[in-house]
Amino acid sequence: MLLFRSEAHVDRWLRGRDKGAVIPITKLAELATAWWSDRVSPEWQPHTREQNQGILDGLGLTGPFWSLG
Amino acid sequence: MDAADLEVRRATYRRFVELGRAPSALEVAATVATDEATVRASWRRLHDAHALVLDETGELRMVNPFAARPTDFLVAAGGRSWYANCAWDAFGIGAALHVDSEFDSHCPDCEESLHVRVRDGRPDDTSLVFHVLVPAARWWNDIGFT
Repeated sequence: MLLFRSEAHVDRWLRGRDKGAVIPITKLAELATAWWSDRVSPEWQPHTREQNQGILDGLGLTGPFWSLG
Repeated sequence: MDAADLEVRRATYRRFVELGRAPSALEVAATVATDEATVRASWRRLHDAHALVLDETGELRMVNPFAARPTDFLVAAGGRSWYANCAWDAFGIGAALHVDSEFDSHCPDCEESLHVRVRDGRPDDTSLVFHVLVPAARWWNDIGFT
């Protein structure tokens, strides 16, 4: 889960290995806010898989790659 | 996850934020007025529930989004700094603390330094991209590699 200068840099770094998913940093920022914002709250309760999948789905991160299983 | 484990988890996070590093089991035990063995037993159950990650010796490795070991994601927020486990977690520290943040990293390909400022949840450099190598269903198979 790394940050790259551009998608061309991802491709070069992979050196032929299978590519995962590439998303803009702006989408990552949205994902982080949705995923982590309750993490240090005293009221935190464990997320269910459905809750976490809902976060991904809500940001348009759908399809087999983003399925939590 | 019972109430006692949730209390240990809360104390672990609180001490991590306060100290700017991973707390020891003794430090957490003092916070919740229990003993070290009780904290370690809770940590193991929390690890099994994916609520934090222990290393092979039973010490804290990840209190996500905070990293117990130095990484390539050094985050500054609210006048303090912590390491994050990955780029997602680097954004996550500011999000979890509800403050603006900034972090340093490097492009793994060209090794160029990357410095990202996050204001109101938005990065100042919008040209960067995030690569996730492992499909979501396998993230916890080896969370360190993920």
